[in-house]
Amino acid sequence: MKDRNFWIVIALITVVFLVYWLLGHPYFITERAVMLFSIISLSATLMYYIRAAERGEEFYLRPIPALKAVEEAVGRSTEMGRPILYVPGIQDMDQVETVAGVVVLGHVARMTARYETSLNVPVSRSIVMKAAREACREAYMVEGRPDMFNEDMVHYMTDDQFAYAAGVNGIMVREKPAACMYMGKFYAESLILAETGNSIGAIQIAGTASQAQIPFFVTACDYTLIGEEFFAASAYLSQKPELIGGVKGQDMIKLVVIAIIVFSMVMMTIFESTGFGFNILEYLTIR
Amino acid sequence: MFWKRQIPIFIVTVIGSITLFGWFIDQPNVKEFVGDDATQWFDVLASFAIILGALNLIKLQLQKVLYQKPGWLYSVVAVFGFVFAIIAGFFVKGVDDSVAQWGAHVTSDGTLFKWMFDYVFSPMSATMFSLLAFFVASASYRAFRIRNFEATLLLASGIIIMVGRVPIGGIISSWFIMYLIVLCLGIYVNSLKQDMKITFVFVAVGVSVVTIGGFITGWPIDQPGIFYLPSIQEWIYYYPNVAGARAIMIGIGLGIFATSIRYILGIERSYIGE
Repeated sequence: MKDRNFWIVIALITVVFLVYWLLGHPYFITERAVMLFSIISLSATLMYYIRAAERGEEFYLRPIPALKAVEEAVGRSTEMGRPILYVPGIQDMDQVETVAGVVVLGHVARMTARYETSLNVPVSRSIVMKAAREACREAYMVEGRPDMFNEDMVHYMTDDQFAYAAGVNGIMVREKPAACMYMGKFYAESLILAETGNSIGAIQIAGTASQAQIPFFVTACDYTLIGEEFFAASAYLSQKPELIGGVKGQDMIKLVVIAIIVFSMVMMTIFESTGFGFNILEYLTIR
Repeated sequence: MFWKRQIPIFIVTVIGSITLFGWFIDQPNVKEFVGDDATQWFDVLASFAIILGALNLIKLQLQKVLYQKPGWLYSVVAVFGFVFAIIAGFFVKGVDDSVAQWGAHVTSDGTLFKWMFDYVFSPMSATMFSLLAFFVASASYRAFRIRNFEATLLLASGIIIMVGRVPIGGIISSWFIMYLIVLCLGIYVNSLKQDMKITFVFVAVGVSVVTIGGFITGWPIDQPGIFYLPSIQEWIYYYPNVAGARAIMIGIGLGIFATSIRYILGIERSYIGE
């Protein structure tokens, strides 16, 4: 009971929901109750650890080589006097991966501002262009180098997948960036980009949650942030306690999910072989 | 600050919460908003935003041409393509109104826009896509180079999957694979013991056991199943592969969930430049 306020809020939410339930729960889709319960529990777990981190509790964040390599890559580009190419995926801001890519871009921009290295961010969506510009502008301001910020460092190319890949490949071949970073949502163009980056000898760091593209990035890039690591990148790079707390909460949720998988497996095995118990899948299936 | 910080966070929190919890509410207006309106709003905003992108593109390309920066000739092609697409899209149809009306002309045969799409845009897109085949080959070569245990495992699984999925894989007898395994193990034993006698005995015993087994069972091509390539590839594809993929999926799902909650609650504010 370290966080009294947290438990009071949880108790209040529970009481309100119970009252609502007892009143006949109007407008509520009853079949989705398990899902709602899961979302609230998972959110509560996240909040608990975020608050714990804000109170000063320290959490260990395992070193992620790909994120350590980001600073290395910026340093290398500075030494070589070549730009850094940052590709925030080919989807719009309605994709959480693109948002995560723009967030990481903010951290990379801070580094490039610090090291006075040029940054090139070709984007494939106009809204992403605006968001990425804001992230870069803020990063250069925070680092005290607004003079180095140039709006055109984030520039729009095209919405079309392969036209975009062709454009980015052209930049790679002509400008020969020392480092290429691919952080966002990718489809078939992932390998085209990563292999071209490989051919020009750039240090390459990729991060994506697009499952089908992970093997391509692992093969062609020097470092790859796989799935959840990509979403933890912001916490790792910023070292903000509230974000690190979120990562810890995520790990605790993972532990619970593993426990539920094992428990469900045992329950299903018992149910199917002996008929004892109940079909747990009926409760866990999304409706 | 208020307009650039608090208002965006407020909008994200309200819209995010409605979209998240709207999934549990059985009310037509909320359902419509979650399932239809919210995404349409985004599409409308994105459609307006395309003007910003187009202006930025043409500005940069024109600057390159005017100041004759390195590679400015490519920019001439880009500007020409841009202007041509606008002319074909808004000013010159290339056919009469009886063939295609304005609006429908972008998909009607015989129009200038459709010609551009079919004979310029599509072949160039296909060219980029086809490059993927060569990139897959070069990437596979690097991935399959035997450097360590993991790479060897990847190579072996890759070969099994590739051969097991084509017709020739089905006519390779499981007994042939067993002989191959005995010989490979013989190489391993030889490198381990460095003794010809031991290697010879090992290989001889292995080959004899496989041969006797074959004579007893009548050399069925697909038995024992664990040495039959189509069965092995199926097992690799549906068990270790799916298990690994699901583990990554669960991680991704949790990552997306945690990130979304952080945005909705206003804990993560980096996306607005904070």
